[in-house]
Amino acid sequence: MTNAFFQTAKEITDKGYENLSTELVSNKHLIYSSPATLSFNSPGAKGYGVKRAGLAVPESVMLLVSPSCCGRNTSLFKSSPEYKSRFFFQLLDDTDIVTGRHLMKISDACGEILESLEKRPSAIMICITCVDALLGTDMERICRKVTDKYSIPCVACYMYALTREKRLSPMAYVRTSVYSLLEKQKRESKDMNIMGFFSPLNTNCEIYDLLKSAGIVNIRELARCEKFDDYKDLSKANFNLVLNPESRHAAQDMQKRLNIPFIEMLRLYQPDKIHNQYRLLGDALGKKLDDSEYFEETKKTIAEFKNKYGKLKFAVGEILNGDAIEIALMLVKEGFHVECVFATIGELNYRFLKTLSALSPETKIYSNLSPTMLNYEKDDIDCFIGSDCLYYFSDKPGIEWCDEVEPFGYRGVIDLFNALDKVLR
Amino acid sequence: MKKFLKYMSPFAPDQSGACSVFYELGGLIVICDAGGCAGNICGFDEPRWFEKKSAVFSAGLRDMDAIMGRDDKLIEKLSIAHSQLGGNFALIVSTPVPAIIATDLKSLERMGEKKLGIPCIAIDTTGTNYYDKGEEKAWYRLFERFAKESFEKKDGKIGIIGATPMETGYKNSSSLRNQLESIGLHNFVIYSMGSTIDDIQRASECEKNIVISLAGLKAAKYLKDKFNIPYEIAFPFIPEDIIKKASDYKDKKILIIRSQFAGNELRKQIGNGKNITCATWFMQDNDYANDGDVKLNGEDDLYELIKNEEFDLIIADSDALSLIKDAGFKGDFIDYPEFAVSGRIFD
Repeated sequence: MTNAFFQTAKEITDKGYENLSTELVSNKHLIYSSPATLSFNSPGAKGYGVKRAGLAVPESVMLLVSPSCCGRNTSLFKSSPEYKSRFFFQLLDDTDIVTGRHLMKISDACGEILESLEKRPSAIMICITCVDALLGTDMERICRKVTDKYSIPCVACYMYALTREKRLSPMAYVRTSVYSLLEKQKRESKDMNIMGFFSPLNTNCEIYDLLKSAGIVNIRELARCEKFDDYKDLSKANFNLVLNPESRHAAQDMQKRLNIPFIEMLRLYQPDKIHNQYRLLGDALGKKLDDSEYFEETKKTIAEFKNKYGKLKFAVGEILNGDAIEIALMLVKEGFHVECVFATIGELNYRFLKTLSALSPETKIYSNLSPTMLNYEKDDIDCFIGSDCLYYFSDKPGIEWCDEVEPFGYRGVIDLFNALDKVLR
Repeated sequence: MKKFLKYMSPFAPDQSGACSVFYELGGLIVICDAGGCAGNICGFDEPRWFEKKSAVFSAGLRDMDAIMGRDDKLIEKLSIAHSQLGGNFALIVSTPVPAIIATDLKSLERMGEKKLGIPCIAIDTTGTNYYDKGEEKAWYRLFERFAKESFEKKDGKIGIIGATPMETGYKNSSSLRNQLESIGLHNFVIYSMGSTIDDIQRASECEKNIVISLAGLKAAKYLKDKFNIPYEIAFPFIPEDIIKKASDYKDKKILIIRSQFAGNELRKQIGNGKNITCATWFMQDNDYANDGDVKLNGEDDLYELIKNEEFDLIIADSDALSLIKDAGFKGDFIDYPEFAVSGRIFD
């Protein structure tokens, strides 16, 4: 039996992305299915997958057109009040797949949905899966047909697991889909949108105050739109602020269709980098953003935590609201020890890995997806961050850090340390 | 509209059923998918997954693997995993993607056995059928592949065929053992729950098999033909409180919605009257059905059944309750969770 595979931060950095070991490259080995990998194999099982994300359009409904297996885990959230009467299924059998006859029935299924609902939905999102990816279905055409027949917006959502590592992954594509119903209107100079997540940012995040100090009056987020009319106001934005690279394509599409430019920021946990980002954001807006108060509060929170608990040994997982490598780097820079990180290494991780390697070369990096993780034996740590770590270190204190309210900026860092303090206390 | 669901979510698919049969037997299990099917199986349809480690993997297929039909790449990945983890057999569970590109599963079995040097079984599930179809294929292949040798019969030993968490609603074999012991059975093996591949290989030791699901019947028939082991049908895993509550209605018009053998057993426990109709979303064998029993092919069938018959009591998974109410049902309802419907479990 082989022990769980890992390499140190230094080994990975020295080898470079092109020469990553097979065990760290997900398409070169079987994908281990453990509770720690659930978010990889089935994003919808926890948090947001394509199905749930597609329903981010307020008052919309979804028709999932697929074999029964693809809609199975929808039971997990279908019964919650938020999604009641919003999911419908058109199940495919073998003959449907061979003949493509299911495509002729989609329009009737949409008709039946509209008939069954007391209130007319704002839109019908049609979700299709690997089956139609392989059949080469032109779902855009079918959506147009539905729109023509029932005078209702109809949008395709592509749950193509086969293409998850493409430049435009299913989760990136669905972000484009949910903004695609916006129509061009007069832009308001003091309006902007925050894009990136399907749930709202923490209301206490300083970004709202900073943006307001720069003269922004209306800050909108898709997740805060309760009605379709609120959603339509998103196209009034003078610019979009993209906080998650998976929303870049959606922002580009909005730039092209609606003339709304965008600025990108990353969700970071290193206070100095957060400060840099706000400085650059201020430059882009033509106003200096004074974040000194928030910066100081963050540094103070970290210092107090460190004084209280000393140089803790951390494990950092990848199923959390953040980038595992970046959080590990922040912890190391703040004087903590990171024993191990569980992460799927991509090319972009190297921007943080190089510094992590210089500061903490011996930090072990595991891939949750490696079959050898079946034999994982616990590292010696004091506490953990990440839902996947909870699976490995259930007897240790730690936080999952993947609540639906999205942390961001200095407030995210402060909340992270406060949450750690709460479990360690 | 057929195959259109507006009240319920899709039921457990055949690949989940196949995986469930092999889950505890110590092999390498590969779901031949892009990730979503494995996620559904492990994260939803396999309640043992959070407590009992098993070598279940996704093949991690990508679009070019499907387009190019890279079977050799899959076998290579399987071989690497076997060299790292061992395993006494390999199971490849098909899903919609290999079904659509017509993957030659027989060839995969041969390639796997040659490369790994262990038995390799591929189950032709498609994701378009329900769990019982997958279990039926898996039970049959399991015994056909491993129960080959004739062992001396062991006095009174009984084999239980067909028990999985999806069929019984119990994820721990100890729950099932307790219930079997409470009806006076002591010398038994519950295949695939709390047992090993060695128990499968020694299946011929049993004097009798008890088949608890229609999915296990084909395998039981195989064992009867091969080793002359007689079988009987029973489902000794119905919670007492459900039987007790239902018995109060024994002379009323009752509808039971459950997999066939479980439904039949509940009918028997209530009194076996002609006033009791059994219906199922899953496989139904006419040899074990009473006149008037119904195979439900979709929500519309249940809607019509309830509209046309005036039942006093319905016993079913409460996931169907909103449909039942919308069909105008005014009688009483007993919730009997069915894992393959709602994913709810008893233990």
